[in-house]
Amino acid sequence: MNIVVCIKQVPDTTQVKVDPQTGTLIRAGVPSILNPYDHFALETALALKEKTGAEVTVISMGPPQAKTVLRLALALGTDRGILLSDRAFAGSDTWATSYAIARAIKKIGKADLILCGMMAIDGDTAQTGPGIAQQLHLPQITFCEHVAVSGRKLTAKKLMDGGHEIVEAQLPALCTLVLPADYKPAFPSFPEIAAAQEKDLELWTAADVGADENLLGLKGSPTRVDRVYAPPQRARGTVHQGTAAELVEKLVCILKEENFIKC
Amino acid sequence: MTTIDAVSRGLMLDSLKEYAKRRIPFDCIRELDRENEFPAEILKEMYDPGVLGVHLLLIPREHGGLGGGTVDIYRVCEALARIDLGIATSVFATFLGTDPLRVGGTEAQQRKWMRKIAEEKLLVAYGATEADAGSDLVNLRTRAEQVVKNGKLAGYKITGNKQWISNGGVADLYTILALAPGGPSWFLVERDATGFSANKHEDKHGIRLSNTAGLSLDDVYVPADQLIGEVEGQGLQQAQAVFGYTRLMVAAFGMGAGCEALETAVRYSQQRIQGGGPLSQKQGYTHKLIVPHAVALEASRAYIHAIALRLDGEEHGLQTEGAIGKYYATEAGNNAAEDAIQALGGYGYTRDFPVEKIKRDVKIACIYEGTNEIMEMTIYRGRWQEHLKSRGQYYIGMAAELDALHAQNANVGADSAALGLRALARILEDCRAQRLTRHQNVTFKLGELIAAAEVAANFCKTAAAKEYNEGVRMDRACCEAMSRVCARETAFDVASQGIKLVLGAGTGSAAELSQAVSLVEIEDRQRGVTEDKDLIAAKLNETFRPR
Ligand SMILES: Cc1cc2nc3c(=O)[nH]c(=O)nc-3n(C[C@H](O)[C@H](O)[C@H](O)COP(=O)(O)OP(=O)(O)OC[C@H]3O[C@@H](n4cnc5c(N)ncnc54)[C@H](O)[C@@H]3O)c2cc1C
Ligand SMILES: Cc1cc2nc3c(=O)[nH]c(=O)nc-3n(C[C@H](O)[C@H](O)[C@H](O)COP(=O)(O)OP(=O)(O)OC[C@H]3O[C@@H](n4cnc5c(N)ncnc54)[C@H](O)[C@@H]3O)c2cc1C
Repeated sequence: MNIVVCIKQVPDTTQVKVDPQTGTLIRAGVPSILNPYDHFALETALALKEKTGAEVTVISMGPPQAKTVLRLALALGTDRGILLSDRAFAGSDTWATSYAIARAIKKIGKADLILCGMMAIDGDTAQTGPGIAQQLHLPQITFCEHVAVSGRKLTAKKLMDGGHEIVEAQLPALCTLVLPADYKPAFPSFPEIAAAQEKDLELWTAADVGADENLLGLKGSPTRVDRVYAPPQRARGTVHQGTAAELVEKLVCILKEENFIKC
Repeated sequence: MTTIDAVSRGLMLDSLKEYAKRRIPFDCIRELDRENEFPAEILKEMYDPGVLGVHLLLIPREHGGLGGGTVDIYRVCEALARIDLGIATSVFATFLGTDPLRVGGTEAQQRKWMRKIAEEKLLVAYGATEADAGSDLVNLRTRAEQVVKNGKLAGYKITGNKQWISNGGVADLYTILALAPGGPSWFLVERDATGFSANKHEDKHGIRLSNTAGLSLDDVYVPADQLIGEVEGQGLQQAQAVFGYTRLMVAAFGMGAGCEALETAVRYSQQRIQGGGPLSQKQGYTHKLIVPHAVALEASRAYIHAIALRLDGEEHGLQTEGAIGKYYATEAGNNAAEDAIQALGGYGYTRDFPVEKIKRDVKIACIYEGTNEIMEMTIYRGRWQEHLKSRGQYYIGMAAELDALHAQNANVGADSAALGLRALARILEDCRAQRLTRHQNVTFKLGELIAAAEVAANFCKTAAAKEYNEGVRMDRACCEAMSRVCARETAFDVASQGIKLVLGAGTGSAAELSQAVSLVEIEDRQRGVTEDKDLIAAKLNETFRPR
C-alpha cells in the first residue's frame, strides 16, 4: 500500500498577533511549525505503515524553508519526501493549491490512501484536502479521528457534532484528520534527525508535475484574501461596587432592564 | 567539522524543547530544586537514542556518535540552560569528561571508550578540582603511582580527593586528573573500581538538580591503557587544548539562562499594570532593567556564534576568545537574571516565578570552568602579548576594519566601536609605558575592557551581515539599534574607565589622556542612544508577548 501525506509548514499561530494599525500579521520571532493536524495525519500514516508495511510519502508545497517539515517527517519514519516548490505556486488559493498537489500525487503514481490535516492553522479554510479529492476524483472522508485499513477497505472514525460516525470506503480514498483529545505530537530523537539528513529530499517544480501555469498562483486562484484583521474588541464589562445588598439590588435592576427577567 | 546542518540542528532543538515541556515542566523542576534532587531518570532518557540521545552529539561519527560541531553543541547548551542549568551541567559534565579523551586519547582508547559512552549511555564526570587546587591546579595532590609487573608498566594506583565534581555521585565513568611521576595526567576510572567512592551530594545555592560531590580515591588501580594518551604529563595541555571550546559552552549557559530570565521579564512587564499602565511602557523601567541586558545578551550571542564558527573551521585553541565569551556572556546572563527579579518586583522574589531560580543557577557560570577573575587574567595575558608583539597596533588594525565596515554600513555603530578600540590601544600603551600591569587590579580591569571592546566590535560585524545566524530572533532594525547602543556605550566605558585606571595607578594628565582616547568624540557618539533604547524596548515587547 502507498500512502501520501500532505503537510504544510505554518507559523505557530498561538504566537501570531495581528497589527491593528496595518492589518498585517506580526511574524517577528514567530517560529514555523508543522501544522499540528498534519503531524497527526503523518503519525496515522506511520502507524498504518507499522501494521501493513505501507510505504509513506510526504509532500509539501511551499517555499524552500518548508523542507524543514519534510525533514521532520523523514526523521519520524517517512520513506520519501517531496517538496513542491516553484515561484509559479506563489499566491495560490486553496483551489490552485489542491490542483498542484493533485498533479504531484498523479506523478507519484500509485497512491492508495491520501491523508491530509483537517485544516491548516494559518489559512484555516479546511478546503485543500477536499479539493485534492475532487481533482483526483476520489472518495473523501473528512474530520477523521482514526483510520484503519484492511485489504482494500478503509474504515474511518469520523467526528460529528455530539458523537462519532463510522464510515467505510474502498481504496483509493482521501481522509482529513482532526486532532484527538490531548494529542501530543511525536518528536524524533537526535540520531533519527541526523539520519533523515542523509535521506533524499526530492524537489519538484510546476513543470516536473506537468501543471498548467494558468491554473497556478494568483492566475489560477478564484479567491483572493482581501484583508486579515483581528476582530474588534468587545465592549468592556462594567464594574459595580458596594455592599452585598446594594449589589444584589443593582444586579436585579440590570437583569430587568435588559429583559432577562420580568416582574 | 560538523556534518549536521542548520535544519537538523533546528529539529534537534525542537525535540529537546518538546521533551522538556512534557517531562520536566517548571513545577517539576521547582520541586526537584526544592528537594535538592538529581533527576537520574530524566538524564537516562535524554541519553536514550530512542528518546533524544543528546550525548551522541559529542561522540565522533566513527565511534557511533553524531559528530556534532561547536555550533551544534553550543546551541544545545543554550537550549539546555533555558530548561534548567543543573540538567545542563549534568549533560555538560559528560561533554567535559569526554574532552581529554577526545583531544588526547590514543586511537584505540577513543574507539573503546567513545563507543562505550555512546552505546551504554554513560554519564561521565570530569575530576580536576581539589580542596587546595581550584583556580590553581599547581597544588594538585592526587597521585598516580606506577605499578610495575614483570618489569613492565602494568598500571597505576591513584590516591587522593576531588572536590565539587559535577555528576560526582552519579557518573558511570570518571576522568581524573592525577599527578603521575611524569606530571599531571588524566586517567579513566570506572565507578565500580575498588577504593573509589563518592561523597555526599552538596547542598548548593543553585543548580540543585545537578549532582555535585567530592570523590575519594584510595589506592584505586587502573590499567596502564587507562592513562589518557598513554604518555604521562600531558594532562594540563590536554585540559588547556579544549578551554576555548569548553568555555564557549559555559558562555552559552550564561546567555541561555540570561535570555530565559529576560524574556520572562519582558512578557511579565506587558501584563503588570502599575502607575496607570503596563510596566513595559515605562521608559525608566525598560531602559534600566530590560534593554541593557537584551543588548549584552545579543552581543554575547553574536560573539559566541562567531567563535563557534571559527572553531568549526580550521582554527584551533582560541583560548583568549573562549575566555572573552565566557566572561562576557556569563556576566551578562548573571546581570540579566538579577534584574529580572527586580523587574518582577515581589513576585520575582518568590519561588512561584522562575527568575529567582535562574538567578541562583546562573551564578555558577561565573565560577566554574575558571572563575571570571581567572578569565580576566587570561584575556589580559592573551591580548597583552598581541599588543606587545604588534607594537601597539593590534587594536589599531581592528579599528581600521571597523572604520571600513562603517563606510559600508553606517547603521551599526562601527565608527563608535572603532573609537573604542583605539581608546583601548591607547590605554594599553599607557599601561605599558608606565608599567602599570604590575598591579593585578589593572590587569583584571584590562581583561574586562578588552572583552567589552572586542564583543562590541564583533557585534557590529554581525549586525551588518547580510544574513543573521539562526539563533537571532530580533529583526534587523532592532539588531542594528542594539549594535549601536553596545558600540557607543562600550566605547565610553573603555575610554572613561581606562582613564580612571591609568590615573588611579600611575601618573599623567586627565586632559591629555581624554584627548588621547578621543573622549569628547566618543561622548558625541552618545546622541540617539535613548531613541535606540526606546526602539529596542518596543521590539522586545513585540517579539516576547505574554503567553
Ligand atoms: C490568513 C489566511 C487566510 C486565507 N484564506 C483563504 C480563503 O479564504 N480561501 C482560499 O482559497 N485561500 C485562503 N488562504 C490561502 C491558503 O492558505 C492557501 O492557499 C493554502 O495553500 C491552503 O489553504 P489553507 O492554508 O487554508 O489549508 P487547509 O485547506 O486548511 O489545509 C487542509 C490540509 O490540506 C493540506 N495542505 C494545505 N496546504 C498545503 C500545502 N501547501 N502543501 C501540502 N499540503 C497542504 C494539509 O494536509 C492541511 O492540513 C488564506 C491564507 C491565509 C494565511
Ligand atoms: C557546582 C560546582 C560544580 C563544579 N563542577 C566541577 C567539575 O565537574 N569538575 C571540576 O574539576 N571542578 C568542578 N568545579 C570546581 C570549579 O571549577 C572551581 O570551584 C573553580 O575553578 C574555582 O576554584 P575554587 O572554588 O577553589 O576557588 P578559588 O580558586 O579558591 O577562588 C576563590 C576566589 O578567588 C579568586 N581567585 C583565584 N585565584 C586568584 C588569583 N590568582 N588572583 C586573584 N584572585 C583569584 C577567584 O576568582 C574567586 O573569586 C565545580 C564547582 C562548583 C561550585
